[in-house]
Amino acid sequence: MTGKTDILNVNPQELRQMQLERLQSTLNRAYRNVPFHRNRQNEIARQTGRDPSIIENLGDIARLPFMKRSHLGEHYPYGLFAVPLRDIVRIHTAPGTTLHPTVTGYTRQDLGIWREMLARALTAGGLTSQDILQISLDPGLANWGRDYKDGAESLDIAVIPNTPLSPEKQMMLIRDYKISVLVTTPSEAAQLADRMFTADLNPTSLNLTHLILVGEPAEHELRNRLEQQLHVTTWMHYGLSEVPGPAIAFECPAHEGLHIHEDHFLPEIIDPISGEVLPSGESGELVLTTLMTRAFPLIRFRTGDRARFRKGRCACGSSLVRMDWLEGRTDDILNVNGVKVHRNQVLHAVKRILGFVPDFQHSVISRYGEKNWLEIRICMDDRLFSDEIKGIEQQIHTLTDQLRENLGVPLAVRLREKPLRTS
Amino acid sequence: MLRIKNLKCFYGRIMAIKGVSLSVRQGELITLIGANGSGKSTLLEAICGLLPGWKGEILFEDSSLEGADPPAIVKKGISLVPEGRLVFPPLSVLDNLKLGAYTRYRRKQHAEIEKDLDRVAELFPILRERSDQPAGTLSGGEQQMLAIGRALMSRPRLLVLDEPSMGLAPLMVEKILDTLVLLKKQQGLTILLVEQNAQAALKIADRGYVMETGKIVLQGAAADLLSDVEVKRAYLGKDYEEFYDGKN
Repeated sequence: MTGKTDILNVNPQELRQMQLERLQSTLNRAYRNVPFHRNRQNEIARQTGRDPSIIENLGDIARLPFMKRSHLGEHYPYGLFAVPLRDIVRIHTAPGTTLHPTVTGYTRQDLGIWREMLARALTAGGLTSQDILQISLDPGLANWGRDYKDGAESLDIAVIPNTPLSPEKQMMLIRDYKISVLVTTPSEAAQLADRMFTADLNPTSLNLTHLILVGEPAEHELRNRLEQQLHVTTWMHYGLSEVPGPAIAFECPAHEGLHIHEDHFLPEIIDPISGEVLPSGESGELVLTTLMTRAFPLIRFRTGDRARFRKGRCACGSSLVRMDWLEGRTDDILNVNGVKVHRNQVLHAVKRILGFVPDFQHSVISRYGEKNWLEIRICMDDRLFSDEIKGIEQQIHTLTDQLRENLGVPLAVRLREKPLRTS
Repeated sequence: MLRIKNLKCFYGRIMAIKGVSLSVRQGELITLIGANGSGKSTLLEAICGLLPGWKGEILFEDSSLEGADPPAIVKKGISLVPEGRLVFPPLSVLDNLKLGAYTRYRRKQHAEIEKDLDRVAELFPILRERSDQPAGTLSGGEQQMLAIGRALMSRPRLLVLDEPSMGLAPLMVEKILDTLVLLKKQQGLTILLVEQNAQAALKIADRGYVMETGKIVLQGAAADLLSDVEVKRAYLGKDYEEFYDGKN
């Protein structure tokens, strides 16, 4: 016996006990090591008079306050780390909701947990050491690229790590390197399918058999189109791009929702407005609590993603809960090809670069040619105005360049006329 | 097999265990480690019925141990090897062993008990050699063997040990722990081991729990805990400087 539990076949009662034990010790560690969590737990203990054990069953988690993305920025850089820095072996940075990026750390154990979760998700897709897997993700999802690489390598799968490639080179790789698995976002996969079509590349001549779709939920029609055009099986993986990683939920061969690694996460679905926990089967916002993570515990973290739990046991036999990952978000985040950008973050960046906030500013996702772009519309006003067109162009050019560097997504800045005041 | 939820134990008004949840599955060897005074022994006392008045839930094979006295708990199949061995010094080794089976004599299991005595003697041949000697004349290691043998005489399904390595020479510790592995492998015995010698305990265990001031702060596969820097620093007596040099 190795002490590891066969989580896919664990009985529900044992799973609940395991989750309770892990949740309690996660809270105990967070209390001991992170002032932010300690203060919040003390507050709950004071309110409920239930010190010291505020959580006596899994349902009691509803007593705890939510953790939001803004908390991550407020405690920049290391304020939410639950282990001393000397125990950290990897540090990730992701754009936050404010000027400060989100910094997360991993202990050696944490990296092991991710490797294990990735391996579990890849194994569920039937991948073996025979496979050749390529990771093709936006630079904004580079953190995931590393996790996929580690997870796949632990299964002896040959990995082509994430590198920016031109579309032509990408197609050459798939054809010549006999790639059988591609990890990418739905939008990028759609572009690939289109390109193959125009390049007259016959998918049946390729070795590509699996597409792992990450970053954004893929619609049914898109998945069907990809499966038919490319002759592949598609697998959706759900993850968090800022913390702590990819494949928090994954599809099994039944393709009936995404299984959540319940030994490592305690998931809830809440009403995004009232914050109430919703009964199983209703759609709302996904909230996650980490159960084994050491360096960066999340306690009731509001993901902003919309989801719904499925009832009953999956046809694959696993009792791990399944969720449907739904379109849209419950917060002010724009999902650009899988990379998340908060509207506030755009605002902060524009303000910092220009030195002022333009009168009217908003961001939308637009489709330019093959890719989704972030279109930032700002309003022409006196402060931007110059008597030379060249001067204005220069300013917009600089703004675009700096924003692109800052946000890590393809974007364009458009100048708009000032809306007429209708007072 | 054993499922504990939100256990709280009190010494007067002091809460020594502050809401602990822990489980032992059939056939597992689980170790509970932690510093002095973290509440490990208290937890075992609660399981074995030696500390009445606890709150929470202790289920053994799905039946609650609440309100059960020690003999009832022994009859259910839990047997304790207490801290400091607590053999009966003036009684002979044989009588000590027989005492371990006292709940079974009433049930007229004499023949069975004889067989079990043989089995214990096979496990610890030294006890047979010394069977007529008063237990008080045995060495520390031999007394520990006797305490384990005595616990086995009640035919437990869950063997609970409190610091069996305490005060023993390293070689003897190894021997005692090897015996536990043997019991687990050969007889399928489920074991809950409380130890201060974290390294030795984690080496033989399947899973481990780390306790600190009455709370569980860490748990996981024993191999993972053994390589955990935090556990190493706190419980495995790793060179302090090795960790404090450099970062932070």
